[in-house]
Amino acid sequence: MNAASALSLVIVALAILLAVEAVRVARRWHVGRPASVDWWAGLAAIPKRYLVDVHHVVARDPYAARMHALAAGGLLAGSALAVLGLVPPLAGSRWLWALAAIAFLVALAGGGMVGRRRYPTRPARLSGGAFQRLPLLLVGYFGGALLVALDAVLDLTGPLGWLGLVVASLGGFGLVRLLADGPMRHAFAGALHLAAHPRPGRFEGERATALIPADLDAPRLGVAVPADFAWNRLLGFDACIQCGRCEVACPAFAAGQPLNPKRLIQDLAGSFKDAPPAYRGSDYPQARPVAGVSGPERPIVGAGALIHPDTIWSCTTCRACVEECPMMIEHVDAIVDLRRFQTMELAAVPAGAIAPLSESRYAEEPGGRALAARTDFAAGLPLPLIAEKGSCDVLLWLGSGAYELRHGRTLRALVELLRRAGIDYAVLGPEERDCGDLARRLGDEATFADLARANIATLGRYRFNRILTADPHALHVLRNEYPAFGGHYEVVHHSALLDELAADGRLALAAAPDGRLTYHDPCYLGRYNGETDAPRRLLDRLGLERVEMERHGKRSMCCGGGGGAPVSDIAGERRIPDIRMAQARATGAKTVAVACPQCAAMLEGVTGDVAEVRDLAELVLAAVEAAVPQGAPR
Amino acid sequence: MKALVLLSDGRHPVSGRPAPAGTELQAIALARGLTEEVAGLYAGPDAAAARTALGHGLARLEHRRLPEGDDPLPSLAAAIAAAAPDLVLAGRRAGAGAQTGLVPYQLAEALGWPLVPDVVALTVADGVLEAVQALPKGARRRWRVKLPALVTVHPAAPVAASFAIGMARSGHVEDAPGIDAPQDGTALEERPYRPRPRLIASAAAGASAAERLKAATQSAGPGGRVMVDPTPEEAARAILEHLRALGVLKPAPGRD
Ligand code: SF4
Ligand code: SF4
Repeated sequence: MNAASALSLVIVALAILLAVEAVRVARRWHVGRPASVDWWAGLAAIPKRYLVDVHHVVARDPYAARMHALAAGGLLAGSALAVLGLVPPLAGSRWLWALAAIAFLVALAGGGMVGRRRYPTRPARLSGGAFQRLPLLLVGYFGGALLVALDAVLDLTGPLGWLGLVVASLGGFGLVRLLADGPMRHAFAGALHLAAHPRPGRFEGERATALIPADLDAPRLGVAVPADFAWNRLLGFDACIQCGRCEVACPAFAAGQPLNPKRLIQDLAGSFKDAPPAYRGSDYPQARPVAGVSGPERPIVGAGALIHPDTIWSCTTCRACVEECPMMIEHVDAIVDLRRFQTMELAAVPAGAIAPLSESRYAEEPGGRALAARTDFAAGLPLPLIAEKGSCDVLLWLGSGAYELRHGRTLRALVELLRRAGIDYAVLGPEERDCGDLARRLGDEATFADLARANIATLGRYRFNRILTADPHALHVLRNEYPAFGGHYEVVHHSALLDELAADGRLALAAAPDGRLTYHDPCYLGRYNGETDAPRRLLDRLGLERVEMERHGKRSMCCGGGGGAPVSDIAGERRIPDIRMAQARATGAKTVAVACPQCAAMLEGVTGDVAEVRDLAELVLAAVEAAVPQGAPR
Repeated sequence: MKALVLLSDGRHPVSGRPAPAGTELQAIALARGLTEEVAGLYAGPDAAAARTALGHGLARLEHRRLPEGDDPLPSLAAAIAAAAPDLVLAGRRAGAGAQTGLVPYQLAEALGWPLVPDVVALTVADGVLEAVQALPKGARRRWRVKLPALVTVHPAAPVAASFAIGMARSGHVEDAPGIDAPQDGTALEERPYRPRPRLIASAAAGASAAERLKAATQSAGPGGRVMVDPTPEEAARAILEHLRALGVLKPAPGRD
């Protein structure tokens, strides 16, 4: 018996221990509700999902990507090679141990990078505790195993090999102990999460951003206790590696509201365990006191529970956290599930949300305004009703922004552009009810379902080719969320349609000398619908100097207007739109182009040193008007 | 302690759809602050609007079926006598539809109970109700009355709970025939609901949100003058000047 074969045996022993721990971890997910999972397809897809989809996210931080590739790759390769040493024909093979030595060397470099990132100072987004000890264990296991392998290759005499064996065993054992409740859990849970992901469409190129309809016949609506989550959601929470990318991306966290998506996922991961490990990352800003009790049948939300209600009501459902999460965790689904229980079973909604929810229900419009008044903004402009025409090419969906003065100006510009381009358009007028976006994000699935069905019935009575809207929230609901209720439509955002009209020459544009401009991506257009190019193409046609904010495209930052956050109005230390406006100003832009009524309202509400807020439609109309020679017939 | 909330056949003031009346929902919230045992009572043909109250925290609704146009009073009085609640709460005034706001008073008279109108807060101790009543201009008055009693709820009471479909599903309705009480067609005039316009100065159309906010907040109200201990002559002169400035009185004779 030499040190090398002893290492092989130790690794086999560790693997057995690992399997035992893994079974213990997996059994805890059993408290969750059943979920239909296509196991074979899922398991077979793990390599592709890992190498393509996960890597796509991880690679945004090249250091982390290299670090992980070296450490994880070296760990798996080195350990597997070392175990091969037990196969008789390979036993004692120098070539095998030379390969193993290379693998462990690579792993050691990765382990060193893990440490380099955390010492001497640990970045705020990373967790301490066991996470801070992780690099020591990694270096111990890799370094020890490297010594053993070198010993086998070079026939070193003396105790070096045995010393390596002791260090490697200690390190390896320490790592295995971190499987159930420590950093190493992400490896096991993460791999299974890729196989059993609740939204497999994410990996097939689908948008998969629509909220999943709640079962309104269930005995309990939404999620009250951890056991109400489907088991693969619990698995997802366990996959979190506490990398803090979501924390950095979260607008509510940045504004000092009591929400930190990383801490939230950790609370949820601990919620179904009786004695979860202590959390050692950054807390919820202005954290409210909670009792902090957990257990599979214990309530999750409440001052006497685990998560304060203000935490879940701070979320703008911007999906920045989901976009950034390398473990593919679905924060927004979890938050909306928790909200659904609060809203539909307890009526425990923030005071500011009561009126919009009631009005959505009893007046089919969150502001309680007359549906017929939605077209008031257009006074004087031709706005044909589809009820009078019966059919049209483009059905203009006005949305709740039409009642607001600010968005009314945008819509007037858009209607004027449609008229000039000779589009056959119409509106539903008094037949357009609210699309239900606000109610749904606030957890009132019942009201949303009523509105969806009523709107779908109305739309079913008319013939049109596509729906046009200047409101990305309505766009998302009509395009992605109505299909589950039987409404299938081609929905186009005004940025895409205007781009199309400009491209085929139906709108002639003249360069508008408007100075430097930056474009703010609406979350529901960029992240939810992947539409980040058309608005930019359109703006570039205007001949402006367009600059990008640091956070743009699918990684853009929210304006603070989504998810019912403006009505929930959970106080923070700063305001989200102020932060975003400062980012826009930092580019030196004198205009910030928006493409959403919420963004316009939020950003225009910023005071002080601000850029001018103009919707794409307004900018395009100005360019079209500049292109018409003075006095020429239009 | 048992509380009963009177519900009406409400309509949403704008959409005209069946909807609970706001003050009745506030009554439910006030009653739930006093006791677990809160039921609703509605007498009329169709309980669609009253049923919605189940979703706002009412566990049980008693519906007394009546033909269209019948007077609900006898049915309500009989149901109250049978249920023997300690406290009956009602909304303050007609919200929409055929509501007169008189029913609570007629009921109080029929039952011989005291009535405190426009309450915003309630507490009960030893069978005595302490009610805070809202008076104009934010003034408040405290009443102590022996139970059983009737109160009507003022819109300044704490906000009502939002609608929760889960509660609406688990609440139940007890349906029983009411006491027919046909009334001769009372001459009622129906007018569409119109909220009073709020007077705010408006900025030019096309102004930014900040400019509109400024316009709305800076020039609110006609301003005024505070005089401390003026002589009666001074005071009279100031009032006359003000009324002239408003155009209520003709300009002073003998000037320009
Ligand atoms: S939820 Fe995702 S992004 Fe956030 S800390 Fe966990 S793994 Fe990282
Ligand atoms: S969706 Fe946006 S606001 Fe909500 S937790 Fe994620 S990043 Fe924060």
